[in-house]
Amino acid sequence: MAIARNIVDIALAAAGKANAGRIVRVNVLAGELRGVIPAQLMFCFGLMAENTIASGAHLNLEITPVVGRCRKCEQDFPIKDYSYVCPGCRGQDVDIIGGTELRVRDIEAE
Amino acid sequence: MKINVMTDILEANDRIAAANRQVFDRHRNLVLNLMSSPGAGKTTLLEKTAEALQGRLRLGIVVGDIETTRDKERLDRHGLPVVQLTTGSACHLDANMVSSALPHIDLAGVDVLVIENVGNLVCPAEFKVGEDFKVMILSVTEGDEKPLKYPLMFRESSLLLINKVDLLNHTNFSLNEAKANARKINPDMEIIDISCVTGQGIPEWMAWLAGCYQKKFGTKSRA
Repeated sequence: MAIARNIVDIALAAAGKANAGRIVRVNVLAGELRGVIPAQLMFCFGLMAENTIASGAHLNLEITPVVGRCRKCEQDFPIKDYSYVCPGCRGQDVDIIGGTELRVRDIEAE
Repeated sequence: MKINVMTDILEANDRIAAANRQVFDRHRNLVLNLMSSPGAGKTTLLEKTAEALQGRLRLGIVVGDIETTRDKERLDRHGLPVVQLTTGSACHLDANMVSSALPHIDLAGVDVLVIENVGNLVCPAEFKVGEDFKVMILSVTEGDEKPLKYPLMFRESSLLLINKVDLLNHTNFSLNEAKANARKINPDMEIIDISCVTGQGIPEWMAWLAGCYQKKFGTKSRA
């Protein structure tokens, strides 16, 4: 719910700054590791957007995959099934470089 | 028209968390964000911690609860500074809620401030509140697969306390499996087995706290 409210606030602020009219679509990047549940977030977004210029806007969620980078061999690789192990050297010293983001990428307005 | 935004959805929260952190640093507080599912033993651990820390480091607590003040009443018996945040329907504490508690606690009289989050393994991991470290409790009655089901919280936490190990024989919980799963998600995580009933692991938990305090402030205590 708090996340949905923030998305609406950010979208409204951006639309206000650009003197836009109605917001029709909000594009959000949500990392897989964030565990966002799309149906739930879309429902909350709809509620929060009511009686604003974002009312009825479509919330588009782009789920970004978890990507790791091995600290030893500096290789980037997708992380599946929470296996934080480098496929190259089997090292476990892995930084997460993708899949944790949670941001409003852009909005589409009339 | 398309309007480029690229704003972090939790930016407002993170900004307030950073401001909280400055207040804590100024008052020389080591701050922990304590998270677990409901009933894992957060409040009991804090009661034990209060006893064990006596005469060493001064403990203060901000406790988040959805509805009741029962946890605060339990902690009040130990004569600690305790501030209650009743979150209403919110399933987590955020930086703004914690900020609103700060005027009600004498931070200058506290060395270690523990922010007891709402019992929940999902949302609290998303919201920084200004802590130095996230600490989580997993109890052996919950299941050893939990790190895989709630990866973000295990990934974000520096320390995992596996609680209620006195009950191990009555469950099918495997300590080895739980630790392997936790390390799969977070290889750097420190793990301590504890029991608030037998006192097992409490000295190690105290040592961890003292170590963090010393690392942050360069001294073992304020005195």
